[in-house]
Amino acid sequence: MSLANLSLAQLLALVGGGSALLVALYLLDRARQRRVVATLRFWVAAQRPPETRHRRRIQQWRSLLLQLLALVLLALAIAELSCGPAGPAARDHVLILDTSAWMAARSARGNLMEQARELARAWVRGLPSRDRVMVLRADALATPATVFEADRSVIARAISQSQPSATALRLRHALEFAARSRSLSGGSPGELIFVGAGRVSEEEASGAWPLPAGLRTVLLNQPLENCGLRRIGLVRSTTEPARWEVVVSVRNYGLRQQRRLLRLTFGGAPVGETEVWLAPAQEQQYRFSFRSRAAGWLEARLWGNDALQADDHAVLEVPELHLIHVLAYTAEPELWRPLFSSNPWVRAEYRPPGAFDPRAPADVVILDGFRPPEPPAAHTVWIDPPVKGAPVEIRGRLTRAKLTRWRTDHALGAGIRAHDLELEQANILVPSPGDVVIAEASAQPVILARDGPRKLVVLGFHPQRSSMRYEVTAPLLFANMLRWMAPEPFRRWEAHAQSAGTFSADLGDEPAELRVITEDGRLVPFTRSRGQLRLFSANAHLIRVLAPGSELVFSLSLPQIAEAQWEPPPGVRRGVPARAFPTRPTMALWPWLALAGGACILAEWLAYGPFQRARVDGRWAGSSWRLAARRAAAFVKERLS
Amino acid sequence: MSQQPLVDQKFLEKLERLAIRWQKSFPGLVGGRNPSRFSGPGMEFLDHRHFHYGDDLRAVNWRAYLRFEKLFLKIFRIEPHAPVRLLLDASASMATGSRVKFDYARKLAAALAYIGLVRLDTIVLVPFREGLEPAFRCAGGRYRFAPVVEFLSELKSGGRTNYLETVRQFVSRYPDRGLVIILSDFLDDGDCQRALQYLADFGHELLLLHIWAEEDRQPPWVGRLELVDAETGSSLELDVDAEARRRYTAAFDEHAEALRRLAFANRGRYVGLSTALEIEEAIFGSLRQGGNLE
Repeated sequence: MSLANLSLAQLLALVGGGSALLVALYLLDRARQRRVVATLRFWVAAQRPPETRHRRRIQQWRSLLLQLLALVLLALAIAELSCGPAGPAARDHVLILDTSAWMAARSARGNLMEQARELARAWVRGLPSRDRVMVLRADALATPATVFEADRSVIARAISQSQPSATALRLRHALEFAARSRSLSGGSPGELIFVGAGRVSEEEASGAWPLPAGLRTVLLNQPLENCGLRRIGLVRSTTEPARWEVVVSVRNYGLRQQRRLLRLTFGGAPVGETEVWLAPAQEQQYRFSFRSRAAGWLEARLWGNDALQADDHAVLEVPELHLIHVLAYTAEPELWRPLFSSNPWVRAEYRPPGAFDPRAPADVVILDGFRPPEPPAAHTVWIDPPVKGAPVEIRGRLTRAKLTRWRTDHALGAGIRAHDLELEQANILVPSPGDVVIAEASAQPVILARDGPRKLVVLGFHPQRSSMRYEVTAPLLFANMLRWMAPEPFRRWEAHAQSAGTFSADLGDEPAELRVITEDGRLVPFTRSRGQLRLFSANAHLIRVLAPGSELVFSLSLPQIAEAQWEPPPGVRRGVPARAFPTRPTMALWPWLALAGGACILAEWLAYGPFQRARVDGRWAGSSWRLAARRAAAFVKERLS
Repeated sequence: MSQQPLVDQKFLEKLERLAIRWQKSFPGLVGGRNPSRFSGPGMEFLDHRHFHYGDDLRAVNWRAYLRFEKLFLKIFRIEPHAPVRLLLDASASMATGSRVKFDYARKLAAALAYIGLVRLDTIVLVPFREGLEPAFRCAGGRYRFAPVVEFLSELKSGGRTNYLETVRQFVSRYPDRGLVIILSDFLDDGDCQRALQYLADFGHELLLLHIWAEEDRQPPWVGRLELVDAETGSSLELDVDAEARRRYTAAFDEHAEALRRLAFANRGRYVGLSTALEIEEAIFGSLRQGGNLE
């Protein structure tokens, strides 16, 4: 017989205190019973003066005995009385189960995770039955799967449910966490046992860091050959919109040279293939490019057998190519063709002014020197509009005027420095409130911009008929216009397939606004410093980094494989020990004690409680125990109502 | 919760063999079963008397006239219908006890009413508390039993008992004498024996059915008790031990004995019934063996 939860002194204190309270309450409660009788006339003959000492007398000793018995049984249940060999004092152990991504590897003896589970079960079986174990799953995080638990079924379930994660092992962090948990458990400290492959970063493997006391290691350091994808980067070409640049990093984690075949497919069609020769511990980058305007899945696969299948395959989503549709209503399309054909992001369409359709689909509409019957639905560029029907007031006309000032802090004037351009003819525009003057000639506005749901740019002159036609200013000005009006195709878009855990990304220009979200829209915490974004994710999912001018997509689908193998220093106990204690399991008596205590309370309630008092008072006729349950239910219903 | 019927059909079938019996001679219409000392149109010869003008010539004893040349009239013993009245105590004290006395009394009253109906007696059910409550008269055979059950089922117990007032109202409401069956615990603050004596003196035959619950006679409680009178609400605080319980039972038995003596002294009858006794056992045991039913 042994007590698992309380010491004997604590149990006696609990029972003693509870008994004293129970007797006091009993004497107070049973001091005087109220009874309704048919008449008092016969009681007068039996009357004696009340004696105060009766207050201290036990009148229904069976009731008190039942209550005290219930108290003792419940106290023993709380103390977790168990039957079986006592053995040494119970200790608290921490079982650190390696659940890093490398544990999904297969060896000749089977899956590493399954081997680790079996070793962990064997170690638990050898423990004294009273010892408590905390199961700690260790990868990039240290996650307790149980509290300190003596129930072997709970421990076995936690071990069975442990699965390889997507991140690498941070052993030092896991050991520190386990040692701290053991010190805070309040019990006698037991072992910290690490069961797993022990594949860690080179920093952890080479560094000398203090190990906690009582550490035991069960390492599965079998030499395994593996070659896997480390990272895939997908970037649109800056010169050709339909062309994608792909960079694939492959690493050999094994001890022998590896020869593999790396193949890229897009939508099932092969777009690249190369043979990979990698020396041990070598990492190599391979570049591919392919053209596609359509959206689809880019799949990278490393063909061949190795220990870990999870890092041989990665998939990235490729978005559809979207070009800016410019619809120019002009009588002289030859003037405009050189301007737009030089821009690969633009798909230009030319129509005569007579074919004007206000609802024609387009991103940007150019109105060359004419007034439409109604304004178009898209963003509009007015070129030298007529005085009557212009979107802005025209105050007069300049002749041989020089462009003297550009609004360079606006998106339309960004990068334009020309001050010596002479315009043959130019209308003087009158800005309305909210309009921005982009360029002035002879201190008079000649280019205006108006923001809103339908953006508007008005040029008081024809750029292709002026000297601007031969300068870089014209294509730069129109490029700025298109970027301002339809910024979406100009956004930087990159996709990366890599491993979960801690990673960083180059943001380029420091964006004023930044959002990092998962594919289901949840925000991800991050830090940023000097154009670098750093964040952590323990799970394999998709993360989007959204900035005003760029979007980075990180598909964390590759497992994080550590490079080095940790070797415990000499002095650390190794392997699963032989069974040192009797293994006959103790029989937990507390459920039965709790049931017996409950039964005592129920019996006391039925025999002496308010139900029985009511029965004696005549509210319920009969004394058959067969009807006890029904009457008890009726009593409860009556009390509730 | 559905209410159980007062009496079931099997029990009623058993009751059909019984008849209510009384001992006193009551005047009344012919048709009863109990012989009376009063003369009338009966079958059993009682006596002779001189003929008086106006007597029925069919009762003249012509043989005696031939012998004595005087007119003698044969008179016969009458077997009259006597009124049977059931006085049912509906006070609050009847609602105490582990098996409620009021329910027991209602079942007993229903059984007696059925016996009377089967024998074509006229039964008047009269509940009482501080006085008489509205009565229910039943007659005409067993098929009139359903209204009796309905009347008894709707009765509620409550209030205080006042025997003197009840008897005063009874003798003024029912001047013709008959059998008075009283179903009660005979517990009131006044002197119920005096009231019962008045009732007997008025000429009624008393059949006292004294009903008690087990704890009315032998209370099971010990220790410090606060006892509350069910009718008056007054309370009494006392210590109860075995000696006190013995004295209580002795006082109760003394009360029951006084009731029995009163009944016998007035040619009436007394039956004490504990609610622990089943109704069927009470009818076919205590009541029948005591000569109250035949």
